[in-house]
Amino acid sequence: MTDDDVQGARPPVSRRGLISGIAGGFAAGAVAGAGGAAAFAAAAAPASAPEDESETVDLTRSHPFYGQAHQAGIQTEQQRYTVYMTFDLTSPLASDLQVLLARWSGAIAQMMQGLPIGSVEPDGSGAVALDTGEAYELSPASLTVTVGLGPGVFDDRFGLAAKRPKHLADLPDLPSDQLQDETSGGDLSLQACADDPQVAYHAIRDLTRMARGVATTRWTVLGFGRASAGKGQKTPRNLMGFKDGTRNIKEESDFDRFVWVGDDQAWTRGGSYQVVRKIQMNIETWDADPVGDQQDVFGRTKAVGAPLTGEREFDVPDFAKRSGDATVIPQTSHVALAAHENNGGVKILRRGYNYTDGLNRVGLLDAGLLFLSYQNDPQHFITLQTRLGSVDRLNEYIQHIGSAIFFTPRSPKRGRYIGQELFE
Amino acid sequence: MPSSDRRARLIGAAVLVPTVVALLAACSSTGAGTAAPSSGSTTGSTTAPVSKGVSKVSIELVSGASGDECRVSHTSAKAGPTTFTVANTSATGITEVELVQGQRIVGEKENLAPGLAPVAFTSTLTGGTYAVVCPGASTETIPFTVTGTAPAGSGSDAASLLADGTRTYGEYAASTLADMTTAVQKLRQAVDSGDVTAAKRQYALARPFYEKVESDVEGFVLPGSSPTDNKGNLDYLIDMRASNLDPSVGWSGFHAIERDLWQGGRITATTKRYAADLTENVGKLVSLAKTLTYKPEDLANGAAGLLEEVQSGKIKGEEELYSHLDLVDFAANVEGAEQAFANLEPGLKKIDPVLTQQVADRFTAVTDALKAYQDPEQAGGYELYTASVRAKDATALSRLVASLQEPLSRIAEKVATA
Repeated sequence: MTDDDVQGARPPVSRRGLISGIAGGFAAGAVAGAGGAAAFAAAAAPASAPEDESETVDLTRSHPFYGQAHQAGIQTEQQRYTVYMTFDLTSPLASDLQVLLARWSGAIAQMMQGLPIGSVEPDGSGAVALDTGEAYELSPASLTVTVGLGPGVFDDRFGLAAKRPKHLADLPDLPSDQLQDETSGGDLSLQACADDPQVAYHAIRDLTRMARGVATTRWTVLGFGRASAGKGQKTPRNLMGFKDGTRNIKEESDFDRFVWVGDDQAWTRGGSYQVVRKIQMNIETWDADPVGDQQDVFGRTKAVGAPLTGEREFDVPDFAKRSGDATVIPQTSHVALAAHENNGGVKILRRGYNYTDGLNRVGLLDAGLLFLSYQNDPQHFITLQTRLGSVDRLNEYIQHIGSAIFFTPRSPKRGRYIGQELFE
Repeated sequence: MPSSDRRARLIGAAVLVPTVVALLAACSSTGAGTAAPSSGSTTGSTTAPVSKGVSKVSIELVSGASGDECRVSHTSAKAGPTTFTVANTSATGITEVELVQGQRIVGEKENLAPGLAPVAFTSTLTGGTYAVVCPGASTETIPFTVTGTAPAGSGSDAASLLADGTRTYGEYAASTLADMTTAVQKLRQAVDSGDVTAAKRQYALARPFYEKVESDVEGFVLPGSSPTDNKGNLDYLIDMRASNLDPSVGWSGFHAIERDLWQGGRITATTKRYAADLTENVGKLVSLAKTLTYKPEDLANGAAGLLEEVQSGKIKGEEELYSHLDLVDFAANVEGAEQAFANLEPGLKKIDPVLTQQVADRFTAVTDALKAYQDPEQAGGYELYTASVRAKDATALSRLVASLQEPLSRIAEKVATA
């Protein structure tokens, strides 16, 4: 496979290029309409704006696995799709866990380069193929696979208790939790993200196959659209139609301060804590809620994503500004409760994805947000979610139905594997 | 699948094969799965040094400029025990190393990944041409020459152990088929007597024999029959189920009797005809099966086939829809698979002791789990696999069998003789 083949078969896709004509047409119509719509038109219209890098998908792009300061898939510019899965360790042998982490590391390194993990068509018809083949000849598509170790890895089964990262423990019960056992927990997690969903699925499938007999699948979520922005990326929208991640962590200094572990045992440094929550949305109810109320729930405008006290997306919210006897941004709005200004300066890195599980038993849309966050102390998440779970107006439209926590160690050097220090 | 004149049965499947081959052949040109014999990656070609009577060869797997490389310290050795020590320094694309002679795997190591401690395997080699194969390396096949003759008594050859195993397995299969003939005759007698309770009991006692060897005998068609016509397919006539009923053939066999006994709760003239037909078809099957001979890979594939049967029929409770005797069949499938594996075990141990142990351990895990369902009060010896048992335990049982299927699926190529 050459780069030329890839270019010929799958040129980079620009959504902006595809939709600009439509947006322009829509803008003209909107301007002719009511004044209220003009604001939306102004936001949607800039067909002549310069090409936005983050709107261009280059499937030939790949990320390095080895020798980085941190595992890929955390600070990495967020890809469009994810397949997330957790596992229960079933083997009581530390050596099985060790071999699995080593095999996973080698395989992830291969797949992140767009290479198969072994022969797709082995010699001899009696042989079983090592790679299942569905990503064969596909481009790397910016694949990252991030490995997480759950609290169970450090219980008394494997003799690793002494190496437990100091903050790694099951999350406490949090207000409004409606957690279900079948979408919670796990001893290991894999977060595969890519710009081609088949590449992400292949990664999870082949790594799951490798785990058979050592670990069993526990729960999984397929995320079809990114719902958080990284540095240089335009803020995407969650399924409620609102921009998500406007104030996400983007600066290197914030990563060092809030994301990467630096003050624990040597092997944990450069790692991070991954908190995952499966958040189901009451889609039909939300869709019937008037836009004014929706904007009060979030504390932001829907189209532009500006704080209710501002004009533009990145205007700093003014939580003190009043209108009559109430604040302009309601105190129980999502933005007010989550803002670092109102939480002692605490920030977390969000890296979520929109998901759908199809329809529920009564034919309603079953969808929501796979919330993924990274922080150097899970207490930061706990603090935020305790406030949000207690009084967030959004709670009327969402339920946290899944939850788990993992420690994601740093990237290994070439010739080593993720978590190798645990066995040395 | 044993060796026999059963090609006709395979015609349906064979039609698909050329397409698949053509598609995958296109892929091969880009490098996956192709071997390019060369000794370019070897760092030495001298004869391996001998220490305490054992030749020592080291193999290093390294990520190099032109991809992953398989570096072999020596490309020849004197006949006798030879230890190959394999270290994966940095090659993520290589996860196994094999020593082969022709198409036969003499020894191998799997689960290789950068960062893990070096591993070793020892094989007793006699003079001849071998090759070190590192699937995924830029040069996958590196010729390895052994000079001289291995001293007598230096260990049994894996191939002869495997050949012994196929003979013993053949005896097991033959005696199982003989027992099936008797059991089916007793079932017919009970049905003919009109005693539903006795017939149910004989049904439960007759079922396991077929399930133990099903993958060996499922390919037979009646002489002169088309393999695409279920009317002449003995497996179909003996073991058809509601879920795969061919309306043009109609009900027949074990499960037709099961339906009458459990769902209908009575024996009719039709039930008696089912029992007579079953006896006759089993007789034809047993006589055709006398021609069977087995290669080691047939045992491996047969064992895998029986576990597939467990996953596709028994776990879901589809096999014994009316009688809920699925766990009896489940245990019989596992026993048949374990017998096949046990007969390969001595030879396989010489080739890949780690895999052999893993498969043996996982068979133990499955049979231990089945013990929890044993019930001597029930004909067949297992509790009924009702909807509530299924809801509670099917997932765990399925996972347990899957964890056995995975390593078991790798045996066939290791023991292949052709």
